[in-house]
Amino acid sequence: MAAVVGSRRARRLEAVLIYAGLTALTVAFLFPLVWVFGLSLKTRLQVFATPPLYLWWPTLENYADVLQRADFLRAFLNTMIVSASAVLLSLCVGAPAAYAFARFPFTGRSFLFFALLVMRMLPPIAVLVPMYVLFSKLGLATTRLSVVLAYTTFSLPLVVWLMRGYFEDLPVELEEAAWIDGASRFGTFLYIIVPIARPGLVAASILCLQLAWNDFLFAAVLTNNATQTMPVLMAAFNAGDSGMDWGGLTASGMLVILPVIIFSFAAQRHLVAGLSSGAVKG
Amino acid sequence: MTGSPGVLAWRSIPDRLDRHFIQAAVLPTLLVMVCVFGLPLAFSFYLSFTGWGLDQPLFTGRFVGLANYEDLLSDPAFTGALGKTFGYTAATVAAQMLLGLGIALLLNVDLPGMRVFRTALIVPMMVTPIVGALCWKLLLDPSHVVLNQWIGQQIVWLGRTDTALGAIWVVGVWQNTTYVTLILLAGLRSLPSDPLEAALIDGASRRQALWHVTLPLLRPYLLVALLLRTIFEFRAFDNIYAMTGGGPANATMVLSMYTYLMSFVQFDFSLGAAAAWLMLLMSMAMCLFFIAAIRRPQAL
Repeated sequence: MAAVVGSRRARRLEAVLIYAGLTALTVAFLFPLVWVFGLSLKTRLQVFATPPLYLWWPTLENYADVLQRADFLRAFLNTMIVSASAVLLSLCVGAPAAYAFARFPFTGRSFLFFALLVMRMLPPIAVLVPMYVLFSKLGLATTRLSVVLAYTTFSLPLVVWLMRGYFEDLPVELEEAAWIDGASRFGTFLYIIVPIARPGLVAASILCLQLAWNDFLFAAVLTNNATQTMPVLMAAFNAGDSGMDWGGLTASGMLVILPVIIFSFAAQRHLVAGLSSGAVKG
Repeated sequence: MTGSPGVLAWRSIPDRLDRHFIQAAVLPTLLVMVCVFGLPLAFSFYLSFTGWGLDQPLFTGRFVGLANYEDLLSDPAFTGALGKTFGYTAATVAAQMLLGLGIALLLNVDLPGMRVFRTALIVPMMVTPIVGALCWKLLLDPSHVVLNQWIGQQIVWLGRTDTALGAIWVVGVWQNTTYVTLILLAGLRSLPSDPLEAALIDGASRRQALWHVTLPLLRPYLLVALLLRTIFEFRAFDNIYAMTGGGPANATMVLSMYTYLMSFVQFDFSLGAAAAWLMLLMSMAMCLFFIAAIRRPQAL
């Protein structure tokens, strides 16, 4: 709905101003990340050079160091395991519920649905305090399972909200045809709905995966050195016994955010629905 | 919420069979919700009225009535955290909304290359928050001094009580301004173009059209963005943990940080649970606003 007003010259000037503004914003928004990426390619001496070096021969030694560290590799693996498990669990549990929400009226439907929204919205620390106590009494604290369960507090609502919207948009005729042909409700869901809803399921998984990958608070409390995830290790690099480890911090930071950036671009189209818990359809 | 378009066409099918399917489909979700959400919250509600230590068996805490809540409200660190949380949330959300709206209006102009800018601008939001915050910490680090070099002054940004929260505010705005932008951009794209064109033909200036036509039409989207950002900034934790840990001298101590330190550093879970419940009540109120806003049919 961009309005067309003014002479051609005025419009051209306006376009130049808009590009200039957006370029300035983009530079400002990306600067911290680009700068730290630069740091990750510097030796320790170059990092502390005054005035800062703007041109230097990049080195990959920080990356080589980090990739040889057992704690880094273990944390990377832990992050992948807990994020993927949380997403799988939420999909298996949440997708059928989302389908029921989308297609059937039942008692308690609105209540349950809004309880899920509240679950996503409440501060994680408030759930984490009692969760930690209960998990440690059950002997679950510091296990990966405890982190996976904790992650369902945000990934399950996200799956249900997104998939409900997706299922509602599917035409109901296919299901009716399946029913007339003698398929059960469950069969219809599994063999008709899940295959056509695959793009939605993929988008929901990516958005959940991103949230789980980025989580710090749950993992910081519910893991130990053996089960810690990448964000927790990053925080440890920051405040280690021997002061801040600049090379490890910058190189591992870049390695942690690389997958997230790839996921998000893959799911860009669905980002808005994910961000707004389905309130805005993007 | 009176049902989706598909519901009525299904009425001819026996209800009993549907009931079994619904139960089987919803029960796992209900179970997970009770286990990871309902039970912990109920337990912390109980805990907040007792004096209990982690070495004691469950449910052996001494009942203390409202003493934990009274302790909190008379603790200057807690009341300070309450004020800082509200101040931080208001300042961050206000900046995100203004800047986010500005960027959305720029990106909504029909020019080539807008997708590239949009993609680049959402990167800070995607990046793992703890990593983004640590990047800023390195940028502000006095031993490294990129920023100080530029402004020609030696300022320990995160170590001073008057600048620390401001620095964290900058990071919060940097991270989630495009969150607002994306929601508003979706809104702008869905608006009908007729009212705006009519206003411009009738001789309204661009500013008048924005103020009297576009923004009122955009209201539901502005409301959703505002409420979601408020809910999420209210629980801010990662940036503060990574950059200051609540210091210096409690200058960046917000409610999440206070609750974290009370529970997992001082191991006082009773007070932690009470602080958590106070936070819950406040966020619950914001959630109800949000639900009311998205439930109204004309909203979205």
